[in-house]
Amino acid sequence: MKFVRPESPEAAASSLGNGSVALAGGTDLVPMLRDGLVQADELVFLRDVVPRGVQSGRIGAGTTLAELEVDPELPQALREACAASASPQLRSMGTIGGNLLQATRCWYWRLRFPCYLHGGDRCHARQGTHREHAIFGNDRCASAHPSDPAAALLALGARLQTTRRELPVADLYRLPTEENRNLTALERDELILELDVPTPDASVYLKAMDRRAWSFALVGVAAARFGAETRLALAGVAPVPWLLENPSALEQSTPLPGTAYKVEIARALVRRALASLPTT
Amino acid sequence: MRIELDVNGEQLEADVWAGESLLYVLRERLGLPGSKNACEQGECGSCSVLLDGELVCACLVLAAQAEGHEVVTVEGLAGAEGLHPVQAAFARAGAVQCGFCTPGLVVTTAHLLERNPDPSEDEIREALSGNLCRCTGYAKIFDAVKLAAGT
Ligand SMILES: Cc1cc2nc3c(=O)[nH]c(=O)nc-3n(C[C@H](O)[C@H](O)[C@H](O)COP(=O)(O)OP(=O)(O)OC[C@H]3O[C@@H](n4cnc5c(N)ncnc54)[C@H](O)[C@@H]3O)c2cc1C
Ligand code: SF4
Ligand code: FES
Ligand code: FES
Repeated sequence: MKFVRPESPEAAASSLGNGSVALAGGTDLVPMLRDGLVQADELVFLRDVVPRGVQSGRIGAGTTLAELEVDPELPQALREACAASASPQLRSMGTIGGNLLQATRCWYWRLRFPCYLHGGDRCHARQGTHREHAIFGNDRCASAHPSDPAAALLALGARLQTTRRELPVADLYRLPTEENRNLTALERDELILELDVPTPDASVYLKAMDRRAWSFALVGVAAARFGAETRLALAGVAPVPWLLENPSALEQSTPLPGTAYKVEIARALVRRALASLPTT
Repeated sequence: MRIELDVNGEQLEADVWAGESLLYVLRERLGLPGSKNACEQGECGSCSVLLDGELVCACLVLAAQAEGHEVVTVEGLAGAEGLHPVQAAFARAGAVQCGFCTPGLVVTTAHLLERNPDPSEDEIREALSGNLCRCTGYAKIFDAVKLAAGT
C-alpha cells in the first residue's frame, strides 16, 4: 500500500477509485482498513488539499469536529451535534467531511455478513438483532445513520461544494436500490471541499443515547427555525439522515419489532426540541 | 516507507508500512510500549497520545499521517525530577488497579489540566469520557484528577 500526499484537490480527486481511497482524519477508515472492510492500494491523504477552518458560514471539509464545536459563529445545532459526537480523542482528529461519509455501524455489516448493503439479497438485521436500527426507509437495509452533524446540517439546509458540483446535503444521501447499494451519491473520484451553512434564527440538537456521553445516537433530533418555518432532521432513524416534514410524520414510520421504542423517543425529543426554540 | 517523527522531543526514524497505525509503530518499532493497545477501534482511549498537542487515539491515526508532527506519549511526561504530577496523583489516589487504562488516562488528564488547570466535575467527566476503565469504577480516577489539579 502507498501513502500519497497530492498537490491539489483536483489531483487528489482524479487519483481516486481503482484502489485509491481518500484519507482525512482516519478515525473511520483506519479500523476499516485493518479489518479488511475497505481494500486500498493507495491512501490519498487529504489534509493538505481540503480546506480547513470556518469563514463567514463556510466550513472547510477538513475542519475537525473539535474545531466546529467551539466556533461561536456557527449555528447552535451544529455545534451541539459535534460536541455530542464520539469522544474528545475522536473529535480532535475526525473531520466534518469524513463524518458525513462515515460507514454504517450496523454490526452485521461491520462483521462482513453478506447482507443487502454488502451486495447480498437480504438484510440480516431485519430478522436478527436490530435494537439500534431504523424506523424509516428500512425496507431493504434497516441500518441507522450514525452521524449527528449530518442531521444538524440537514435541518439547517446546508449545501456542499465538491470538486464537481454544488449540492444540498440532502442530495448527498440516497437509499440503496437493487442496482446500487451505496448510501451516498458522491462519485468515486469526487471530494467534498466545503460546506455552506445558512444562519437560522434559532436551532438545537438533542441526542438520546444508552449512556450520557460517548455513544452513537439511538435518536438524534435537530431543529432549525428560519422565520416562520422550522425544519426537523433526525439521526439514527434511517439508513440516511432523515428530514421530518413535520412532527406528525413520525406516525408514518415503519419500525421493526425491536425499534418501536425509537418512535417514542423521537416523539419526545421532537417535542422538546421545538419547545426549546425561542419563538420570536 | 521511511518516516520521521518527533516523539517526546526526540527525532526518530522508522521503516513503516503505509497502513500501520501510529500506535503500532510506537509500540512495535520505536520501543515505546506505554500507550496500550486494547480495542483498536477508538472506543477505549487506552492508546491516547498527543499529536501536535491535541489528544488523539493512536490506534486510529496512521504513522504516516503523523510524519513530521510532534507526538507525546506517556513516556514523555515524566521529567528529570521524577513523575509528572498527574502520574504521582494517580499513584497517591489509588486510581490504578490492573493499570491497562492508566497511561491513556494520564495523558488525557495531563492534556486537560494543561488547558484547564481547575476543571469542574462536569469538565473532568467530559474530558475523560473517551477513556474506559473496567476496574476502578472511576471514583478514584476523579480523585486523582482533582488531586493533580491541586498540585
Ligand atoms: C468509536 C467511534 C464512535 C463514534 N461516535 C460518533 C458519534 O457519536 N456521532 C457521530 O456523528 N460520529 C461518531 N463517530 C464517527 C466519527 O465522527 C467519524 O469517524 C469521523 O468524523 C470521520 O472523520 P475522519 O476525518 O476521521 O474520516 P476518515 O476516516 O478519514 O474518512 C471517512 C470516509 O470519508 C471519506 N472522506 C473523508 N473526507 C472526505 C472528503 N473531504 N471528500 C470525500 N471523501 C472523504 C474517506 O474516504 C472515508 O471513506 C464515531 C467514530 C468512532 C470510531
Ligand atoms: S441493516 Fe443494512 S447493513 Fe445491516 S444487515 Fe441489514 S442490509 Fe446489512
Ligand atoms: S486501543 Fe485505541 S481507543 Fe482502544
Ligand atoms: S485499572 Fe484496569 S482498566 Fe482501569
